Amino acid sequence: MNAMPVEETFEHPALFYRDAADYTEQTVAFVRAGLAQGEPVAVAVPGPNLRLIKDGLGPDAEGLLFLDMTEAGRNPGRIIPGVLRKFADSHADRRVRIIGEPIWAGRSAVEYPACAQHEALINAAFEGRAATILCPYDESKLTAEVLADARLTHPTLISRGREERSDAYDWEAIVARYNEELQVPADAARFAFDADTLSAVRAFAATRAEELGLTGLRLLDAELAVGELAANSLVHGGGRGTLAIWAEAGQVVAEVRDAGRLSDPLAGRRPRREDQTGGRGLMLVHFVADLVRVHTTEDGTAIRFYLTV
Amino acid sequence: MSVLEVSQLVGRAGIRASGEISVVTRPSWERALAELARGHRDVSYVELSAVEFVDVAGVTALAITALNLPDGRVVVEHPPPQLPRVLDLLWPGQLRIEVAGR
Repeated sequence: MNAMPVEETFEHPALFYRDAADYTEQTVAFVRAGLAQGEPVAVAVPGPNLRLIKDGLGPDAEGLLFLDMTEAGRNPGRIIPGVLRKFADSHADRRVRIIGEPIWAGRSAVEYPACAQHEALINAAFEGRAATILCPYDESKLTAEVLADARLTHPTLISRGREERSDAYDWEAIVARYNEELQVPADAARFAFDADTLSAVRAFAATRAEELGLTGLRLLDAELAVGELAANSLVHGGGRGTLAIWAEAGQVVAEVRDAGRLSDPLAGRRPRREDQTGGRGLMLVHFVADLVRVHTTEDGTAIRFYLTV
Repeated sequence: MSVLEVSQLVGRAGIRASGEISVVTRPSWERALAELARGHRDVSYVELSAVEFVDVAGVTALAITALNLPDGRVVVEHPPPQLPRVLDLLWPGQLRIEVAGR
């Protein structure tokens, strides 16, 4: 007997919705079904949709966790450790139910690949976990490509009240497809570093980030994040790397490139136990940044983060 | 090349560090924290006014040292700004470390 009890399997349906009424009906029914079974429920969706669900639930909304995904999940790379697993791990003895909507019509072309990879990686991060995560997709506003990707990242699909298995399900294909090559603009400032120049590369990044308009906590975060990426290059990336930093569409972008390969797709997204050493550098980058993009091959890895000025 | 120097505090339990806490200086920082834990009674002090930078692993080592103490707490004095930031992000709500004089 190797069958797992039904209540311990992970469920990850995509919900394709047409309009506000459809959205409210489906999400509210999903939440109520969880409440009826005594499951802790969290809802992390964009602000206007948060309002629809709260209003639809009425008094049943009391005591549930509501998060505006445009803030909590601005960087899709922090949704697994900072929202989904955080909630599930805080109720480790129970099955949990979450609505997570990381992809909305306003997501930019530079954000979308990281969003699709995040949706794919949920399947790895929750394998064997007692959780149901429903991901709504706005059929009327999202592109055909985004909707097609959702069929690869979700093992089940719900549309017009009907649930079916996705025969296209293949999350690893999405992780690979959006592992896209990243171009550095010609006018970026660059700094090649090794163990002897670790402080110098941080200082260079801080000076440049300030010139490009970052201040206060965001400037501190930029220096910290560059320090973490550079330290990873020293330990895992062949002992050296190159920083590039520039401004793009109202954001400061910093990238560290080295000769290592990032073989663990969940690196930086796996929650650590409080007493566990190591593995928090990339997670910190995910927590402070508005977006993180990664390109990794046998020949090397580039990790860049975006901070809005 | 970044350096880190650590000495025992005089007149109270704990350490004073100067320089930079990073992957390059990690071994001496971890040795100092192990020693701090061995000599710990009730309250230990970590004086960091001469530390210019601490990275995530450096804060992690301190946090885990404090969590593993049988009792009491660690008071961190005048740390560089990265320390409270990393504690807020990665150890929210922990009570074993008190930050004094940010």
